[in-house]
Amino acid sequence: MNKRIRHLMFGLMVCYVALFVSLQIPQMFKSKALNDNVANTRQVEQVFDKPRGNIITADGVVIARSVPSKPGDRFKYQREYPRGEVFAAITGYFTLANGASQVERVFNDTLSGKGIPLRNLGDLVGRTDPTGDVYLTIRADYQELAAKLLGKREGSIVMMDPRTGAILALYSWPSYDPNLIATHNSKDATKQLEKLFADKRKPLLANAYQERYMPGSTFKLVTTSTALKTGVVTPDTVFADENKYLPPQTTDPIENYGGKSCGGDLREVFRRSCNTPFARIAVLLGGDRFVQGANDFGLNEAPPFDLPSPAASFVSAPGETFDDKQPVLAQRGFGAESVQLTPLQLAMVAATIANGGNEMAPHVVARTADSNGGTVTTTRPTVWKVAMTKSVADTMVDLMIGVVKGPNGTAQGRFSLPNGIQVAAKTGTAQLNPKGQEQRSHAWITAFAPAKAPQVVVAVMLKGVNAVISAGTGGRLAGPIANQLLNFAILHP
Amino acid sequence: MSNSPIASRRRNHELVLILMAAVLTGGAYLLASLGKTSDIPANLIGFLIIVLGLLVAAHVVTRFLAAGADATLLPLAALLNGIGYVFIVRVDTRNRLAGLQSVWTFLGIGLYVAVLVLVRRVPDLARYKWTMLFLGASLLVLPMVPGIGTFNGTNARLWISVGPFSVQPGEFAKIFLAIFFAAYLAENRELIATGNWRVWKFNLPQPRDLLPIVMAWGFSVVVLVGQKDLGSSLLFFTLFVVLLWVATERASFLAVGGVLFATGAVIAWRVFSNVQSRVTLWLDPWSKFGGTTVGGDKGRQAVQAWFAFANGGLFGTGLGQGSPNKIPAVQNDYIFAAIGEELGLVGSTAILIAFLLVIGAGLSIAVKAQRTFEKLLATGLTTILGVQAFVIMGGVTRLLPLTGVTLPFVSYGGSSLIANFALLGLLMRISDSAARRNRELPDTPTLSERMAARSLRRQIAKADRIAAKTGNTGRTGAVS
Repeated sequence: MNKRIRHLMFGLMVCYVALFVSLQIPQMFKSKALNDNVANTRQVEQVFDKPRGNIITADGVVIARSVPSKPGDRFKYQREYPRGEVFAAITGYFTLANGASQVERVFNDTLSGKGIPLRNLGDLVGRTDPTGDVYLTIRADYQELAAKLLGKREGSIVMMDPRTGAILALYSWPSYDPNLIATHNSKDATKQLEKLFADKRKPLLANAYQERYMPGSTFKLVTTSTALKTGVVTPDTVFADENKYLPPQTTDPIENYGGKSCGGDLREVFRRSCNTPFARIAVLLGGDRFVQGANDFGLNEAPPFDLPSPAASFVSAPGETFDDKQPVLAQRGFGAESVQLTPLQLAMVAATIANGGNEMAPHVVARTADSNGGTVTTTRPTVWKVAMTKSVADTMVDLMIGVVKGPNGTAQGRFSLPNGIQVAAKTGTAQLNPKGQEQRSHAWITAFAPAKAPQVVVAVMLKGVNAVISAGTGGRLAGPIANQLLNFAILHP
Repeated sequence: MSNSPIASRRRNHELVLILMAAVLTGGAYLLASLGKTSDIPANLIGFLIIVLGLLVAAHVVTRFLAAGADATLLPLAALLNGIGYVFIVRVDTRNRLAGLQSVWTFLGIGLYVAVLVLVRRVPDLARYKWTMLFLGASLLVLPMVPGIGTFNGTNARLWISVGPFSVQPGEFAKIFLAIFFAAYLAENRELIATGNWRVWKFNLPQPRDLLPIVMAWGFSVVVLVGQKDLGSSLLFFTLFVVLLWVATERASFLAVGGVLFATGAVIAWRVFSNVQSRVTLWLDPWSKFGGTTVGGDKGRQAVQAWFAFANGGLFGTGLGQGSPNKIPAVQNDYIFAAIGEELGLVGSTAILIAFLLVIGAGLSIAVKAQRTFEKLLATGLTTILGVQAFVIMGGVTRLLPLTGVTLPFVSYGGSSLIANFALLGLLMRISDSAARRNRELPDTPTLSERMAARSLRRQIAKADRIAAKTGNTGRTGAVS
């Protein structure tokens, strides 16, 4: 009988090996497919039954938090955005069925607690809140003011500290309310998202850094600094008074804004924002140096940013040469034709000048911390590009001060800061319509203060979607917004 | 207690293993509580003391009553029971089952002790084989008696009410029937094996010799099919075929059993709608998942069990971190999926290995036992444990169609737990008996044997006195 008992042992062993093999199917081979199955709500539930950390601004305002769900909810915690629309471009949303965006997505590990290291026995036994918080460089007061000043006008506002690259405000309208997407009613959330997707104004995109627009004359910051550092021009270079300039290889002349006659030394043509001198400068630079100048600012690539998918500004296509496209080069020299900048990258160009030529990598997150506030990671300011020397930057600052202070400056009289603090600026009015059609233009301005020791840079962009905006210029429409923001920032550092 | 070095080494090993099982259980209990509520359970120390107390009590009793028995069975049962308990606490949303399960564990260990106390000589059981058959059969029929039996909702299982509790008599019946099968086959195995009934070219066993056992088996299967408890009928069938095969050493019984089983399965599938439904749910549970029509959501258990296994992956979500409660009635048939979710493939494989070790220990007891009855009984009892665990775990992983039986020692359920501890007691008794016969430790007489010897001595003394008086010295032997 012992032989049979041993055979029985073998038989049962075979059964258990078969069992072991059958375990592999759901636990290993099909694990991913099963976890991703739409009917499988385990993983989201494990996430939504747990609290999630806060997103906190530099001035201590909580802009995203987990609160206990209302009675009857499927899950224990509800994600809440107390000032939803104002901060949507930064917080993003965290949803049941529609994924996550922005800081909620990029810093998911911190917020969910996965990225928070255990530091003592208390953490291990879980008595403390296991989630982490994200502390931003964003200033809630700046952001709120930006939202108020922009109002119901399509456009974007970026404020940053030129010395560190810390983003202080990042707002665009139209925005959206992430609370409506974070609801646990997935049907409502999906309906809301579909509506936002269908909106042509792209409210779901953080237009301030994910959309690019014709920069108009603000781009002259790039052309001018390139020309100065290559020695093609000096501040004293004089340009003829002319109302049009005919670049090589064409019969179609370039005109100044409004067809006016414009000329003088570089200081004058810069503050009056004549077009023809900068078209001439671009041609003088030639394609290679012009493109190199733009690349020195990182304009043909996406900046390194801690928010997802920053758009890359466009100055020239990869490998594009201008030897037989001199008219195109001339137009791009003053920010026309196909040049497009994101509001963020315009602010970064101005910040580079303000920071003596060093372009800092932009960031919205200052640090991550455990729930007791103990720092886990800190964002260290890093230089992304060195776009020019300190002396070229100083010359650029002088030119930009001229825009605010000099006679006929496009932003003359637009800024008045306490204690006579000087502002440096550059305006832009990007004409979108072809000649002869109804006027449509974006109104731009970028400015920083104090001009000689800059603390804050602002870039304001109003989209030329209607006749009111289009009839104005960057200085007239965007200038007052920039003035109020700089005033507030200087008074509330 | 014995002074045999082999026996005391065995018991010391057992104690160490039991302490390890208790530490594992206590640790798992702590982690499950931390994972669920982020707090150390207030009753942790009390819990550990009770767990340890119960196990050490079982161990001490074993040291006295079955000193030579296998050292691994009790710790393995303790481990499985402990892990099961932790998972029952963890999935228990109404805080009711955990307390009851600890009562069942207490009663189970009590019955384990009772078995060791009452069954001192294994062959005694064989003497009562017809009683065992009667008890087993009665227990199987009991749930069908009006007034006592209760139909438990959708579960295809019949229970009986005893006061406020429901008892599943089938869990106990399997032990009685195993004793009967083993005893009957031990007595008649040669007759059945040689087979002197010539039919055409084959030597078949006389129907007379097979009749009682076939009837016993047929009866249990009919009753269980009548109660729609397919898991148990599969279990009895396997027990019957395996014992017949091991006892007669004739593989033809296995073949015939296989054919009979296949035929039975096809007939059951044709006749019983619930068998058809089980097969459908086995092959494609998704077709019956999330439906709102009647029975449209019957596949929920199977699908959610797979989701649970998938969620667990290799290392599991961690205790208290999964969502095993998404599986309906997870504490009964599907507890294995909860383990797979929170302890991962590593944990579910550990459970498999634990059962394989139980099977190995049980069958090695069978190999070591000298008496045929003991061999067959140990084989039968081990087969019940091993096949039951295989059938339910295979049902949960969808290796087999699901048949509702409990996972021994792990699932929630008083009848199952108590019966399995009794079964464990029997295995330990057989193991101890084999060790004594192998002279690993001295075979001390039991109390009843001592009393019998004493009364015999008195009778002899009395006879001696009478002989002295009458001068009759016709004694042939002396009793000292």
